[in-house]
Amino acid sequence: MGELLLARRRIAIFLVLFLFVLVLLSSQTRTADRRQVGPVGTALLTALMPLQAGMFRVADAASGVWDTFAEIGRLRVENARLRTQVENLNREVAELREQASSAERLERLLEFRRQLSYQATAARVIGRDASRWFTTLVVDRGSRDGVRRNAPVVTPEGVVGRVIEVTPMASRVLLISDSRSAVGVLIQQSRDAGVVEGLGGGRLHLKYLSRAARINEGDLVVTSGLGGVFPRGLVVGRIANVIREEGELLQEAEVEPAAQLDRLEEMLILLPRQ
Amino acid sequence: MSRVLVYSGLLVAAGLVHVAWLARMQISGAIMDPLLPIAVAVGILRGAEYGAAVGLAAGLLQDLLSGGPLGVNGLIKLVIGFASGLFVRSIYIENPLLPAVATFAGTLFGEILLAVVGQVTGLAAEASSVGILRAFAQAALNSAVAPFLFRGVKQIEFRLERPR
Repeated sequence: MGELLLARRRIAIFLVLFLFVLVLLSSQTRTADRRQVGPVGTALLTALMPLQAGMFRVADAASGVWDTFAEIGRLRVENARLRTQVENLNREVAELREQASSAERLERLLEFRRQLSYQATAARVIGRDASRWFTTLVVDRGSRDGVRRNAPVVTPEGVVGRVIEVTPMASRVLLISDSRSAVGVLIQQSRDAGVVEGLGGGRLHLKYLSRAARINEGDLVVTSGLGGVFPRGLVVGRIANVIREEGELLQEAEVEPAAQLDRLEEMLILLPRQ
Repeated sequence: MSRVLVYSGLLVAAGLVHVAWLARMQISGAIMDPLLPIAVAVGILRGAEYGAAVGLAAGLLQDLLSGGPLGVNGLIKLVIGFASGLFVRSIYIENPLLPAVATFAGTLFGEILLAVVGQVTGLAAEASSVGILRAFAQAALNSAVAPFLFRGVKQIEFRLERPR
């Protein structure tokens, strides 16, 4: 009996509340704004709005902190991506610079080849001498390209050396700075003859020059054509220092090579006339 | 009287958290609603009439704070609070999954009720029914927080019932 009364009471409470909310809801739907909070609602809102605003500001601040952290994370990722991009671009720039430099050198070599009255083949350095005593280079042209032993090797700047070994696909070039090298030369202005020998380490020494010869620092030294290896008139270098010793019949000089012997990359090998 | 004050404070706090904080964190368009698990918890622990009363108060507060017409959420939470009190009587009350399951079912029921109320009252624009995915997301969010709120309500009831 008690349980039944409780159940009825429960249902009654529910129905009362349900009716209340239905009336409230229907009254709301009749208004233009579909919302009429009334004086109680307004009072409640007046009390709660400052709290809501305060909590909203707290959430805003927390959201700002979170956004900052998220931004830092994003920036780190972006930074890493940009660093990689910069590295790639730097690599690309270096490659392009290298290509541009190579193209410039080859262009000059081609121009020089046009000016030469000899047949020539362009060669690229593919090996350098590892020993300190000898200064030779290996180039990527050999007997298949018409290269012969003792063929002169030149650049637009000046004489490089001569071929001392030939294989079908590569050759070894003895630089004029090698101590085994000797080239017959003339002082271009005075036409005095001498011999340029290598001293190793990129230095050249002019010997057997008459004491009467009028030479000055800066004078151009060219091949004399004597000796049968180098044709006449190729630039060897410039007089860097004149050495006149008392009582000697001959005078000597240090010669600065015209070709940059330590930075050679491309060169021309003069081929024998057909 | 103290029970009214405590539950009023709890509902106001939950309602403010809902509109000020939880409304900013939507998942699949759903926002966690802590008021519904409270109504369910009171219904389970105190009976259907208490569940209905707390549900109505929670719903009206939600309507007041959210800017919609008064009564939509009040009606829905009233029914959910009452129903949870009625149906849970026959289930073993100490089951730890009960609050989450009841809240999940209550939320889905509430979403259906919302759609019906929207159609009947012509308030579909304000109280439009959400998609099925959103309804399930809402149910999952509410049931995730339900065990904690249930424990809180249980603690409140324990303290209020404790002889002084």
